[in-house]
Amino acid sequence: MSLIQTKLTVNGYTHSLLVNADETLLFTLREQLYLTGTKEGCNQGSCGSCTVLINGKPVLSCMTPTLRCANKKITTIEGISGGETLHLVQKYLVSDGGLQCGFCTPGVVMTAVPYLEENPDVNRKEIKESLSGNLCRCTGYKKIIDAVENASKEMKK
Amino acid sequence: MGYYHTPSSIEDALSIADKYNDNYTFFAGGTDIQIYRKQKLDLNEHIIDLSLINNINTISMKNGTLSLGAMATLDEIFVSKKIQNNFPLIAKSVNSVATPVLRKTATIGGNLLVKNRCTFYNQSKGWRDSIGSCLRDVGDICQVTGGKDDCYARNVSDAATALIALNAKAVLTSLNGVEHRLVKDLYLPCGIKSHNLSKGTILTQIHLSLSPVKWWYKKLRLRKTLDFTSLTVAATVNKTGIVRVCLNGASMSPILIKESLDLLTLELLIKQARKHCKAVDNDLMPLKYRKQMINVFLEECWETISQKDTRTQSSK
Amino acid sequence: MKGPIGRRTPFIDAIDKATGQAMYTDDYKFPNMLFVRFLRSTKSHAKIKSLDITEAESYPGVVAIATGEDLPISFGVLPTSPDETAMAVKKVRYQGEIVAAVAAETIESAQLGVEKIKIEYESITEFITPQDSLHKCEPDEQIHPHTKNNKNIHKIAELRFNEPEKEIKSASHIQTGKFKFAGVTHAFTEPHSTLAIWNRDETLTVISATQVPHYLHINLSKVLELPLHKIQVKKPSLGGGFGGKSDPFPHEMITSFLAIKTKRPVKCTFSREEVFITHHGRHPTEMSMSISCDDDGKLTALDTDIIIDGGAYGSFGVVTSYYNGVLLQGPYKIDKFGFRTQRAYTNKHQCGAMRGHGAVNPRYAVETLLDMMAYDLKIDPCELRERNFLPENSFTVGEFRITSNGIRDCINTVREKSDWDKKYGKLPFGSGLGVACGFFISGSALPILWNRYPQTVVHAKLDFDGRVVIFSGASDIGQGSDTMLVQIAAEELGIPMEYVQVEVADTKITPVDLGSYSSRVTFMVGNATKTATSNLRNEIAIAIAKEKNVSVNDLYFEDCRVITKNKSVDLSWMEAVEIAMAGRGAFLESGFYISPKLGGKFKGAGAGLSPAYSFGAFISEVNVHPKTGEVNVVKVWGAHDCGKALNPLSVEGQIEGSIHMGLGQAVSEEMWYKNGQQMNANFLDYRIPYSVDTPDMDITIIESNDPEGPYGAKEAGEGPIHPVLPSIGNAVYDAVGVRMMELPITPDKVLKKLKEKV
Repeated sequence: MSLIQTKLTVNGYTHSLLVNADETLLFTLREQLYLTGTKEGCNQGSCGSCTVLINGKPVLSCMTPTLRCANKKITTIEGISGGETLHLVQKYLVSDGGLQCGFCTPGVVMTAVPYLEENPDVNRKEIKESLSGNLCRCTGYKKIIDAVENASKEMKK
Repeated sequence: MGYYHTPSSIEDALSIADKYNDNYTFFAGGTDIQIYRKQKLDLNEHIIDLSLINNINTISMKNGTLSLGAMATLDEIFVSKKIQNNFPLIAKSVNSVATPVLRKTATIGGNLLVKNRCTFYNQSKGWRDSIGSCLRDVGDICQVTGGKDDCYARNVSDAATALIALNAKAVLTSLNGVEHRLVKDLYLPCGIKSHNLSKGTILTQIHLSLSPVKWWYKKLRLRKTLDFTSLTVAATVNKTGIVRVCLNGASMSPILIKESLDLLTLELLIKQARKHCKAVDNDLMPLKYRKQMINVFLEECWETISQKDTRTQSSK
Repeated sequence: MKGPIGRRTPFIDAIDKATGQAMYTDDYKFPNMLFVRFLRSTKSHAKIKSLDITEAESYPGVVAIATGEDLPISFGVLPTSPDETAMAVKKVRYQGEIVAAVAAETIESAQLGVEKIKIEYESITEFITPQDSLHKCEPDEQIHPHTKNNKNIHKIAELRFNEPEKEIKSASHIQTGKFKFAGVTHAFTEPHSTLAIWNRDETLTVISATQVPHYLHINLSKVLELPLHKIQVKKPSLGGGFGGKSDPFPHEMITSFLAIKTKRPVKCTFSREEVFITHHGRHPTEMSMSISCDDDGKLTALDTDIIIDGGAYGSFGVVTSYYNGVLLQGPYKIDKFGFRTQRAYTNKHQCGAMRGHGAVNPRYAVETLLDMMAYDLKIDPCELRERNFLPENSFTVGEFRITSNGIRDCINTVREKSDWDKKYGKLPFGSGLGVACGFFISGSALPILWNRYPQTVVHAKLDFDGRVVIFSGASDIGQGSDTMLVQIAAEELGIPMEYVQVEVADTKITPVDLGSYSSRVTFMVGNATKTATSNLRNEIAIAIAKEKNVSVNDLYFEDCRVITKNKSVDLSWMEAVEIAMAGRGAFLESGFYISPKLGGKFKGAGAGLSPAYSFGAFISEVNVHPKTGEVNVVKVWGAHDCGKALNPLSVEGQIEGSIHMGLGQAVSEEMWYKNGQQMNANFLDYRIPYSVDTPDMDITIIESNDPEGPYGAKEAGEGPIHPVLPSIGNAVYDAVGVRMMELPITPDKVLKKLKEKV
């Protein structure tokens, strides 16, 4: 097995790492960088729990080879809220009951944040559609959609 | 367990492929092939990642001809105004694939060359060890039919269905040069070798100019997201009244029925589709139901395409 | 209420979860930690002829290997059926059963080590369907040696009251149906995970994704032959359970064993496929059921015969067998009542407890037959149900004590909100409305392990910093029980929630709680917390009363102060704390909950007993495509009587989640097997509804204020799933006139029925 040297910029800091060809970004983040906010729910691209941003665009880290990410800007859930201040999506997920067990929540945040940034003017139906790759087994989605809708309204203000 | 190559040009990619002969796998978006890697269904030592190659992800229109770079993502195609305004059928089809986030990684080229699927093949290594491997894997019989010769894994490309109905052409690049071929001619009626691209060939562009006067598209799936197709039908009628109906998801390769509207009837359409469809029980939806849906979809499709008035659409 | 009780309260751990800081089991890492992978059986039923680990042992990175012989003591969540060992001993009973385990330096080397193990099997006759298991077989073919009469029947549960079969033969109105239900699974998003550490003082610490640290604690002790006091089980943040993490599991035993053997921390986290293999979900079920009623639509009898497919091991199966029957005693009054449930062992993944345990499938049958009855008698289905509701403060035929009961409010609410009277039976072909009701226990009145202890104990500690710490074994599995503890303490002591913190689900620190199952936590742990914190308040009051020379009864705890009405005493919380602790320091008060003595004297009387029952009524609206058979659930109106919503935000969340999970079982989810092999052990093929598949929801909380619940509260986590499925089935009938007697209601089944009808 051959390990390959690469540089990975995560949440603003550039790490120098050795990874193998089939290593996924999810594995690198969790096991090498110990950024465990990104969750592994299925490791097969179906549940959305492992969503992170690459150059601002949401991707499933379980489907992304780490070596594809060299010289790109990766943002994980740990990089979304700066210390005390929650992103509005997070704020409303908390206050509106948009999470229960919380395992899918980082993925929901990492899907909804770039979505609202790219689409400031969205309706409920579009929000529902935008989250259609995030599997939540607890909430029945209603309060997640409520939260993202409320975040969207406040972002527009 | 392998080597990861990130060529920055087609030429580089092709020469790497040439160097490693049969022992390489191209990654476009990778959302399909990645699972084959994890399930040990793709064991090639060299991964050649095409995502850093410039100029094969652009979407452009010139003189009524649309050029789609093969590395354009399904999402980029969907949100493109050029596509939405001029080729709503393409927008509809790419938006029916997978999930919103996957569509930001998955490419049109990758979707066209998505591997055929079968409930007895697309499983983990441990699963396949349990059931005894199939002839597409390392075994010698088909687990669905018990046969020893043919694999009936289904072609599940939704984009192919639309692009074939639109008579699109693919641009294939190899060390031997550039070749243009109709998308419909990329496929082979074989579950194992589903397309006829020779080794060391990269699908780089898709061109099309047909602007249909009528079109129809529908995808059969249980959920409104994520699911691979159990049956996709796309249809177009052009200015001269030529009907092109493409069915996919039912058989090993897309089925195209092309006929003049004056000569075509619903019965003929169904008969043709049934004749070419080699469906076996290898999907989550039961075989009988899938066959019934061929009729239902074609009936609904026929209602639209046989109308004399302006363009309409229907979709699932 | 002046405090947080009854207020929409975000979960205390919600910010941690929304920022990715919450620690789930797999997020823990310890120095020098090993990883475990398993060799799993490729056969459904076979003898292990040989098992050779020598090559694996010397594979680079492999540190230790465990096989069945290492842990031969059997275990199980129920003391009546400890029929499982940590790894297969001598034979395997289902595909995917763990045969051996490899602990290695990396996940990859553990996996490669597994692949070096050599194993040979000798196949035994496989029993795939429950019908296979009802027949006699050769003794050496039996799945388990302990089943009787050479059959593979695990349990027969039967109760009969007042000869229902006679009534059904002679009644003027009878409805009979045969129903079939596919198995479904919990599919929580966090895969099972366990981390075990062998400490220097020769104690074992196990961090595990479990709903029941207490039962895991007991079973670990049994299997590892380690005294109880040497084992600590901790549950960190947990990514959903729904019953699927409420058994002690083989991987927990094995991981612990390997930690002891290697004296290094060992972690095991499942792949999603392994989660499906581990299953313990809802039993595939077949049943025939008859109900009868008189000319006024009053139900006279119910009789049902049920076969449930248990898979290879017992799990909660004995309870499931009873629940399939006994939980049909409400919400309708039925005086002639009988059931028989046979649970078959088969060579498939084992089934166990899942949200709405045992009663979801037969509830579908009852509500479907009621709908058929209403249709035949030309009585509105809501009206027919109303004629039959159990009154509050009554007893069911099997001597369940019904206290509070808000079912009438429930049905009236959804009837009105859904515009039922204008829409039912009147929508165009293809659209329809359906109604159904349900009820469920608020905790089992009897513990699984019989002993003389309370069902839960809660400690509340006050210290000089003014902080109150609640120590409870309750397991927050995402339902928000930690928040409930804090709300109650804050309410009782009149202090803000931020003064209250929790130490939970740690068997070394927290007093025993039986765990998060049977919807027991709010009722039982809530009551115990209320007692503990009101005792704490009382202690503080006594000290203040003595010092200030006032009566204890004149002291009020509110707005973070302790006062008398005339303000002769007006202390800040910190001043009150100082007085209370003078001369004694920090102290701790205790509260516990024991269920009152309930139920009849007959055998089986204990099944389904609960100190209180929740009730609910749901209406669903569906569109059915007449040509494709596709069912689209458009909207669900749900009204649920939870007694009192301590936290309306989380009660709504439980009901909405129940609609989602019920919808999945109703229209798309299915554990799909071919010859004992699961065909869809992944999220792509096991089709859980996503956001776009989930209907609009309109939730109403009905508060009947139970006399024994904490502040009147009852359960809300499981009861709401029961009416969801039959309301959808009944709506399909209203839409297109076909009765769906088989779940899931997939388009092919609808189309088949539609074609038969023509």
